Parts: sequence; C-alpha cells; structure tokens
Amino acid sequence: MIRHRNLKIGALLFSIFILVLGVSGCSSSTETTYHQPKTLRIATQSSTESQIMGYMLKDLIEHDTNYKVKMVNNLGSSSVSHKALQNNDADIMATSYTGTDLTGTLGMPAQKDPKKATKTVDRLLKQRYDEIRYPSYGFADTYAFMVTQANAKKYNLTTVGDLKPVASQLTAGVDSSWMNRKGDGYNDFAKVYGFKFKRVYPMQIGLVYDAAEQGKMQVILGYSTDGRIRSYNLKILKDNLHFFPPYNCSLVVRGAIIRHDPHLKKVLHRLDGKISLSTMQELNYQADDELLEPATVAHRFLVKHHYFEGGDN
Amino acid sequence: MKGLSLWQQFWYYLGHNGTYVLQQFNHHFAISVYGVLLAALVGIPLGILISRHHHLNGPIISIANIIQTIPSLAMVSMLMLVLGLGDQTVIVANFLYSLLPIIKNTAAGLDSVSPVSLDAGRGLGMTKWQLLVMVEMPLSVSVIMAGIRNALVVAIGITAIGSFVGAGGLGDIIIRGTNATNGGAIILAGALPTALMAIITDWVLGWVQHKLAPHTAKKAQ
Repeated sequence: MIRHRNLKIGALLFSIFILVLGVSGCSSSTETTYHQPKTLRIATQSSTESQIMGYMLKDLIEHDTNYKVKMVNNLGSSSVSHKALQNNDADIMATSYTGTDLTGTLGMPAQKDPKKATKTVDRLLKQRYDEIRYPSYGFADTYAFMVTQANAKKYNLTTVGDLKPVASQLTAGVDSSWMNRKGDGYNDFAKVYGFKFKRVYPMQIGLVYDAAEQGKMQVILGYSTDGRIRSYNLKILKDNLHFFPPYNCSLVVRGAIIRHDPHLKKVLHRLDGKISLSTMQELNYQADDELLEPATVAHRFLVKHHYFEGGDN
Repeated sequence: MKGLSLWQQFWYYLGHNGTYVLQQFNHHFAISVYGVLLAALVGIPLGILISRHHHLNGPIISIANIIQTIPSLAMVSMLMLVLGLGDQTVIVANFLYSLLPIIKNTAAGLDSVSPVSLDAGRGLGMTKWQLLVMVEMPLSVSVIMAGIRNALVVAIGITAIGSFVGAGGLGDIIIRGTNATNGGAIILAGALPTALMAIITDWVLGWVQHKLAPHTAKKAQ
C-alpha cells in the first residue's frame, strides 16, 4: 500500500514539474490569436554592418517605445533571417539587401535597374510573406573592384573599364560565391566588360582586403561598405558599365507588428536615408579595426547625432 | 590599433565596451542558471523517485545517459529545429544536459543515508514525508549540491555555443573576434570571462556545498 502511494506522489510531482516546464516553454512563442508582443526580436547576420544596424534599431526602439528588444545575432545569411521572420523567431530583420533578397530569398532573376529591383523586392516580400521593407538606410552594399593606391597610379586606374588593357597581367582575388553566380558572376562580367584577368583566386571575402594590402594580388572584388577599404586606403574602381546590381540596404519588419502599432512604425522610419556609404564605411571601420563592439559603435552614432533628444543629425 | 600589444588591445577593448561585455556576461550566466534550475526542479524529484523504486533506476539513468552523449552542437541545432532561434533553445539544452548529474547525485545522496538514521527517524514516529524532509534531504544535500555544481559548470560551456542560434551571451563576442581584422583581443575578451565565470561558479558552489555538508561528514574530512 505504502509503495503504491509513494508511486502516486512521485507521479504527481513529476507531472507538476512537466506542466511547469511546458507552461514556461510556451509563453515565449507560438500564439494562435494575434496579440502585440512586449518584446521585439531583431535578427542580424554575422557581418559587422548587420549588427551595427541591428543595435541602432534596438537603441531607438528601447528609447522611443516601451518594447524590450532581444537580439538574435549571428545568423548565417539573409535567407536565414527571412526564415526567422516567417517562423516567428524574429520580428525585425536589421539588414536586407535588394540584390541578395531578389535572387536568393525570392528566387527571381537578377535585375540591373536599382529602382525596379527595389520595387520588385518590396512588393514580393509584402505579397508572399507579409513583410514590410522600409526605404533604404541610405547606403548600398555592392560588389566593387578595388586596388591599392600604388597600383591605381601604376596602371592608371579609375574605372573598371580602365582594367581592360592591363587585365591580362593582373591577378584578382574574389568572393568564392561570386565565381559561378548567374547574372552578376564572373562569366557575365567577362562578357559585359570584354576582358578576363590573368588569374582569379576565389577566396573567403574577409581575406581579400589583406591579400590586396600585402600585394598577393593586384585587384580584388570586395564589398563597398567594408571598413578595411579605409584602413588599407584602397581605391574603389567605378563600375562604369553599371554591371553590379546595387544592394540597397534597409530593414524588414513583420507586417502585423507595425499594423498594430503606428508609433513603432514611425520610430523605425527614423534611420531612413540617414546613413551614407561613407558613414557606413566609417562605422564598419570602427568595429573592425578599432576594437569597438557594434553595440558601442551604434550607440555612439545615435548619441553623436542627437537621436535620443529627438533629433537626427 | 596596430601599435598595441595583445594585452593592451584586450584592456582597451574592455575599457571601451565594458558595459556590453557585462551585459553579455549576465545574459550568459542567466541562460546557464535557468537551464540548471529547471533541471533541478525535475531532476531532484526524479532522483528521489528512483532511490525509492530501484527498478526505475535503469530506464531513467539510461535515458539521461543517452542525452549526455549527444554532442552539444548537434543538440543545440536539433532543438533549434523545434524551438526556433533564441535563448529558449539553449536553456532547454542546458536543462537536458544537467539532468544526469542532478538525478544521479540525488539518488546517490539519498542512498548513502545510513539505515541507522532512518531507523532513528522512524522510531520518533516520523511519516515518510517527514523522514525525507527532516532526515534524508539534510544528510544528502551536499551531494545533490555537487551535482548542481557540476551541471552549472558544464552549462556555462554549452551556452557559449548557443550564440550560433542567436541566444547571445559571451559566445557572441568570441564570434565577433573571429570576424574582425585583428580579433585576437576580442576573442580573449569573450573567452576569458567565460572561463572566469566557470571557475568562480565552481568555487562558490564548492563553498556552499561544504557549508551544507552534515557535521559528521565534515569531521570525517
């Protein structure tokens, strides 16, 4: 008898704890009927740029509204961030780039006209996933050919077209994913500009800047906003044939969140067009080369430009 | 930054990002503690249960053992598929890994209580519940504490991996360091506090465990 009762008590205790566990687990996610959350989750990719923008949004939201903000950092790519939004693991995606979203997330053909590309991405994200894409922060991240100042002088380079006569003597370091891309990859590049390099080394994007600095190759294909362009004083060659699609950068938010809170909708607009290419380069530089955390860089930027006092310049 | 030595860079980094590191430190610690606390809530009753019913010992311990063998990266990724991105995933991973040491130590602690003490309790007319709360638990609490201590130190390590599923914590700083141009100092700024947290936790809980040990056991030491 006693044994039996013990078993019962044990089972009772056990089920209570499982219940407690279940309740605590459920509270944070998966609502069936919509109610506005008290905590917003911002998804950022592992790039410095994405995290800086994410922390700016976090600071602004926490200052201007009553929401708490949780960061979901280090996501692998923008497709993963979109997945996080769709799965209700995140509410805001800090950086969405037109080109990447067009061909990657949406699976559409590449589009060279920036205005059309932006329009298509905005429309399809809303239509397919009820995600609202904001106007650009003011900078575009795009592939850009770069050379050291010394090489620019030596070969007399200012535009990508200037490379044509000397390309057969030059080696290039490029993003490994760029080599076989359709639309804006190496093959199409060679067709449009009419030349190929002596040799092209596909490598991880973070390494190309150091490779150029150390003279391992003469030309590199990097991202236009990277902070190391400044730290190594690299010269960006002008894409005179407009081959590389502009990857305008903006935030994306789940439609339901801002429909239920017009004030939040306004707060998120505060960074529209406020961050120029050179500003972003400077911010990336601070995080990549001056040992500042993206969170610190973002906060300092907002303080410097009086965002917390309602200003924005 | 190029002129500074690694240690100078390290102190420079802490000086300029101190609040951020502290935030991540607290967040890291909270995630670890929540997981272990939940495991204690479930594991201690389970430990009591299997010390009463030895035939349950086999299945429960085997399940906990199997959980323990799953590599932490695999565990966190699998849980992510179910629970999504964020710290709840890592808390559940910590919970699962903490079960074994807590269940095992609870059962071992209760089993080590001498029959003489139990008899004395029964002789005083104690009920089963009184016996558990007034005799067995006080005598085994330091052993249970040892299990919790063990679990928490492991959890601190696992939480560092949790950065890959967006949970935050000091692992974020380590990943940042691998992305930055000269990230050595940043990696240290993430790794050293993690190690320090584990060491301090171990030391503090060790002290608590010693304080909780019954007098007889202390004399024996």
